[in-house]
Amino acid sequence: MSEGRILVVDDDPQIRRTMKAALTSHGYEVSDARSGEEALEKLRLESYDLVLLDMNMPGIGGIETCRMIHDGSDIATIMLTVRNSERDKVEALDAGADDYVTKPFSTPELLARIRALLRRLSPAPSDADLQNLNLEGIKIDLASRQVSVQGRVSRLTAKEFDVLSYLLVRPNRTIAHRELLQAVWGPDYGDELEYLRVFINRLRKKLEPDPSKPRFLVTDAWAGYRFHIPH
Amino acid sequence: MSAPRMANPTTASLARRNKGWLLLRTAVALAAVGAITSVFVAHRSSVNSATVGFCYLIAILIFATVWGFTESAAASIAAMLCFNFYFMPPTGTFTVSDPQNLVALVTFLATALTASRLSARLKYRTKEALDRQREIERLYSLSRSILLTVTAEPPAKEIARQIASMFDSPAVALYDRGADETFLAGPEALSGIDTQLRETAARPGVRRGDGTFLASIHLGGEPIGALAVRGTNLSDAALQSLLNLVAVGLERARAQESINRAEIARQSEELKSTLLDAIAHEFKTPLTSVKAVTTDLLSDSADPLTEQQRSLLTIADEEADRMARLVSEAIQLARIEGGEFQLRREVHFPSALLAAAIRQTKPLTAGRELTVQAADDLPLVVADAGLIQMVIAHLIDNAVKYSPPGSPIGVGARPGEEGVILYVADQGTGVAETDQARIFDKFYRAGKGDSFHETGMGLAIAREIVHAHGKEIAVRSAPGKGSEFYFALPIAPAGSME
Repeated sequence: MSEGRILVVDDDPQIRRTMKAALTSHGYEVSDARSGEEALEKLRLESYDLVLLDMNMPGIGGIETCRMIHDGSDIATIMLTVRNSERDKVEALDAGADDYVTKPFSTPELLARIRALLRRLSPAPSDADLQNLNLEGIKIDLASRQVSVQGRVSRLTAKEFDVLSYLLVRPNRTIAHRELLQAVWGPDYGDELEYLRVFINRLRKKLEPDPSKPRFLVTDAWAGYRFHIPH
Repeated sequence: MSAPRMANPTTASLARRNKGWLLLRTAVALAAVGAITSVFVAHRSSVNSATVGFCYLIAILIFATVWGFTESAAASIAAMLCFNFYFMPPTGTFTVSDPQNLVALVTFLATALTASRLSARLKYRTKEALDRQREIERLYSLSRSILLTVTAEPPAKEIARQIASMFDSPAVALYDRGADETFLAGPEALSGIDTQLRETAARPGVRRGDGTFLASIHLGGEPIGALAVRGTNLSDAALQSLLNLVAVGLERARAQESINRAEIARQSEELKSTLLDAIAHEFKTPLTSVKAVTTDLLSDSADPLTEQQRSLLTIADEEADRMARLVSEAIQLARIEGGEFQLRREVHFPSALLAAAIRQTKPLTAGRELTVQAADDLPLVVADAGLIQMVIAHLIDNAVKYSPPGSPIGVGARPGEEGVILYVADQGTGVAETDQARIFDKFYRAGKGDSFHETGMGLAIAREIVHAHGKEIAVRSAPGKGSEFYFALPIAPAGSME
């Protein structure tokens, strides 16, 4: 049985060949696309578990492709790029990517990140821990990963859902950055504060009535994040 | 003071010409009085002396209105004398027998002079009002030209030209202190004006003399130049407005110029950045394939490699890393060395900067004991996190290369005089005193140089980045006792939290 279906999007044919060979040998089913346009077309026709997306491509480019993919889908996405700056990371995460890998990377590192993304939170939050939440016009439906705010419905990506549910089962408690990162992304993580910043912002946009003045997803400066449920 | 002397002939000839005109007009006025007199003398029997008097008065009023007081006053006196001589009994003499006629005569003269005076004053006022109006119109046109005109010429030259054309001045000179140059406009020359304008710019005030004025130009109390204009008779208020206008015009041009310069710098920086990104992409793309293959093969446990295969693949893998580092560092150096790169200054915990750099260098420090010492209560620092992490990473990298395998490396932050000191210490061979000054130079490799991992760029990059933060990087070392590389970061002002 396949470990998962991966779409490799890169304009360089050698990288597509290498990725295909390496990922296939580790049990993944791999397709490739030469451009963002082709990737969008493939995603429309077939279903995948994860997209490996090169940031620097001719045509519509990685960032824009990522944004368009996540417009209608919550597929896990890893962005590949040669630049290792925080600005690029934030840009990639903002566009909807779940993780970011700098070229050149080692195959074991990439595999670890793919596994971390495809792995669900374990133990998965049980129904006993987590009830569907309905407060002040906000509805969170855990089964379908849907949130609706005053009737406006949006779906959460897997990682967004993991971040939210980790905070939600521990209401009114500040969760440290490191704890949250390791719980959601895996033990290799811990310092990627920009990941949390971007994901919390993404959640606030979907969840908060006024994302600039969060009432539920609260930042405790320098310490961590907290899901605030009024008593 | 050669300019006013130079101005003398022009002004003198102008005055002479004016005087000639005045004499001519006075003569015409007197002739008109004579004409009226001769007409009435011919019909003396049939006209009443009051009619004659009123006719004189009308002529005098006309002269006063059209020409001025001098002409009408001369006409008044002449008319009074003619009136007395020809029409007051006894006629043919200047004696007046009847006291009533004497009163009439005095009244006539007083009326003529007063009317002359009043209408001349009215004429002067009208002229003055027209002059002010024209001044204002010219200033307005000038302000439009100064603020709207875009030329390739120096702005001061253009402004001087505009003033000369708007005020019909034969000679204008404008000294621009910023450019340290004097610009001339108009057909006439103002010799030696350059020195005078420089003096005027240094000593604020307005000096008028012989049709030319010299004035210093200020903006916000700063002298920015001086202006000389010949042949205009501006009121004080208009002159002040003109000077302010020129000041604003010069300053605007200067601001525009610095914006243009910044824009050009920004564009060239952007171009450089795009170019470097493209180069990085081109070099790293093949390396990505190589690295993915070598690491995959080396990690694959399902189908174990022979010892020889493993050792050969390890070489390929290390060389791919080396190549990637060379490309990264050459590009970092190119990006930083060109100057004018922009720091993204933000407030950070010193310990967070260290932690991120340590994470970045995790593959390098495998097998090393890494001690981190940073107190929690250290003040926050202002820095470009990405660049400072790069500095620390280069220092850790350097420590790994120049200390024996397995020896510990210390990384930390401590309070210092210049801010928070970040440091990386190793227990390696140390840096000889002769090398300490040159170790931060590009492509300089200390010691035996047998480390093929060293690119000779890491410490140069570190120094450039720390410089950009306004601080210095230094090394404290003794041969055989290890080295400590350290630099300070500025402390964030209180209350600048997220």
